[in-house]
Amino acid sequence: MSEITQPAKSGPVAGRLANNSQIVLLALLVVLCIGISLSAAQFYSVENVIAILRQCSLVLIVGAGMTMLLIAGEVDLSVGASLAFSGCVAMDVTNKTGSVFLGALAGILFGGLVGLFNGLVVTRLKVNSLIATIATMMILQGGVFLYTREAVQNKHQQPAFTDISTGYLGPIPLPVIIAAAVFACAYVALRYTTLGRYIYAVGANAKAARLSGRRPEQLKLLVFVVTGLLAGLTGLILASLMNTGQPTAGRGFELTVIAAVILGGTSLLGGRGTLLGTLLGVLILKVIDNGIIILRWDQNLQMIVPGVVIVLATYLDLVRRRADAR
Amino acid sequence: MPQSLSLSAAAGPKRPSEWLRALFRRNEIALLLSLVALIVFFSLASDSFLTTRNITNVLGQASLAMVAGIGVGVLVISGEIDVSIGSLAGAVGIPLVVIMNMTGSLELGIAGALLLALCVGVVNGFLAAYIGINSLIVTLGSMFVIRGAVYLYTGQKAIPDDLMLESFYQIGNGRLFGAISYPALVAIVLLSAFIYLMRHRPFGRKLYAVGGNPEVARLAGYDVKRVKFIAFVICSLLAGISGILLSSRLGSAVHVAGLGFEFQVVAAVVLGGVSLAGGIGSLFGVALGVLILSFLANGLGMLNIATEWQLVTTGLIIIAAVAFDELKRRAK
Repeated sequence: MSEITQPAKSGPVAGRLANNSQIVLLALLVVLCIGISLSAAQFYSVENVIAILRQCSLVLIVGAGMTMLLIAGEVDLSVGASLAFSGCVAMDVTNKTGSVFLGALAGILFGGLVGLFNGLVVTRLKVNSLIATIATMMILQGGVFLYTREAVQNKHQQPAFTDISTGYLGPIPLPVIIAAAVFACAYVALRYTTLGRYIYAVGANAKAARLSGRRPEQLKLLVFVVTGLLAGLTGLILASLMNTGQPTAGRGFELTVIAAVILGGTSLLGGRGTLLGTLLGVLILKVIDNGIIILRWDQNLQMIVPGVVIVLATYLDLVRRRADAR
Repeated sequence: MPQSLSLSAAAGPKRPSEWLRALFRRNEIALLLSLVALIVFFSLASDSFLTTRNITNVLGQASLAMVAGIGVGVLVISGEIDVSIGSLAGAVGIPLVVIMNMTGSLELGIAGALLLALCVGVVNGFLAAYIGINSLIVTLGSMFVIRGAVYLYTGQKAIPDDLMLESFYQIGNGRLFGAISYPALVAIVLLSAFIYLMRHRPFGRKLYAVGGNPEVARLAGYDVKRVKFIAFVICSLLAGISGILLSSRLGSAVHVAGLGFEFQVVAAVVLGGVSLAGGIGSLFGVALGVLILSFLANGLGMLNIATEWQLVTTGLIIIAAVAFDELKRRAK
């Protein structure tokens, strides 16, 4: 930010380092990787790295949408339920039509519809998004069982369907490619387009954005739909990975995503946040998860550690911002 | 929400008559009418709905959400939120049953359970109110940590009540004079006490002031942090009491007890007209919100409608209620 600042004293340097919360996150990630690999050498094995990346890709896809949504000052708790439903829809439509393309399209569009519903309820009916999406979550969790009593089995046996999650492009798994593409699009949109700038503006101060001629409602609606579509896409990948449409999949997924996004430095109040932070947040949470497994610790720690990490990261962010304000 | 904020800021400390008027201007009447309409509808539609047996059954179930809802209501009115109550309500069963199994004393078990709830409330409150971390994040964190700790301790198995104490069974399932179940009694007593606290004690006024506009509350000389801290402790303690009753109804400490409970309770609180922005709402409304959702779930069950529809209708009703509330506010 300031090339003018004299890095002569140690104070400003340390300040500037700590100032950039992404550097702190990156350092945390490096420390974690080194720490884990010292005690378990297989951490750096190709299979393990690929497993981590595949795990990350699901969270990252939804996380990209959720980051934009939080920056715009809203939140979506229905993504977990939505992706379970989308997965069932995708599998069901593929079963019925025999076309993977149609199935995939149906799954993704279903997620988009859920996003549209959320967006309309929040922007038109003015319902607080936390409550609106908790309600949507209930509707979807009930609705998915009305749609299908049990898991939708793979009856079509199309290889293309399983390839969505288990296929490779060169050495890289397809979900990772998809996640990277989604991430790149979102990154460019948020960073280099006027649309992205409006998202920050609307989240930081909706009133000011409206006075300057923006339409916060339309923009928020768009971001809800995008998040919904991405949840649908994730549901499709998950259904492909599990080879069934599982109505109970994705329970608690929304919390993991929000945890990763917040860990990445995105503010719950809107107007602040970066996708790069979210990427680091996702990586850190999933490396911790993986570390717990390969170090053969009790897997129930997988719930405790992220909980502590989120609170700690938010605290560090708070300290940093207070130092900024001074 | 901004309108109401500026309103309370401009009006300053309210007189009791204004309190009353504000209360009736809000949606308690509409909620009460919906509840009555719901009961009338279900009693016409199903013979077994309006029976003493069924009504006591519903009230027994509603009281668990009611007890926790009072705490969440108090906290949300103070401008904060707690999503860890489901994990906590499940977790308190463990010290309760473990201590009871060891010592054979229900009282010691309850003391252990309440101590755990107190600790959680103090930690949540300290991190959110004094350190200033967003309460949604703090309690999301503790939700994970508490549930994870429960899984870790129990190895994802339920801990049975070895002694089968009659008193332990009674607190969740027994009835006073054979009529009012103990959980309902606990809920009614707590509700009355907290309605009194919120409306007639200085602390209640402080909660509304702090939630409505913390800056103004601070300038008025209130210790904003302390008020919010106490609200967190109250919320956790009530969730703990709710968890003790739950554990007695389940007859053991179940590791998955209370999963999703936080969403149900928050939904009921918001349905009851408490604004998530803080400073607006009443515990009477919360009670009505809980009752409406409980009677709805029970009535739909009576009509043999799949339980899945209950989730769907609950979700739709919450959206409709909050949207209606917002429209009404904008119309003014």
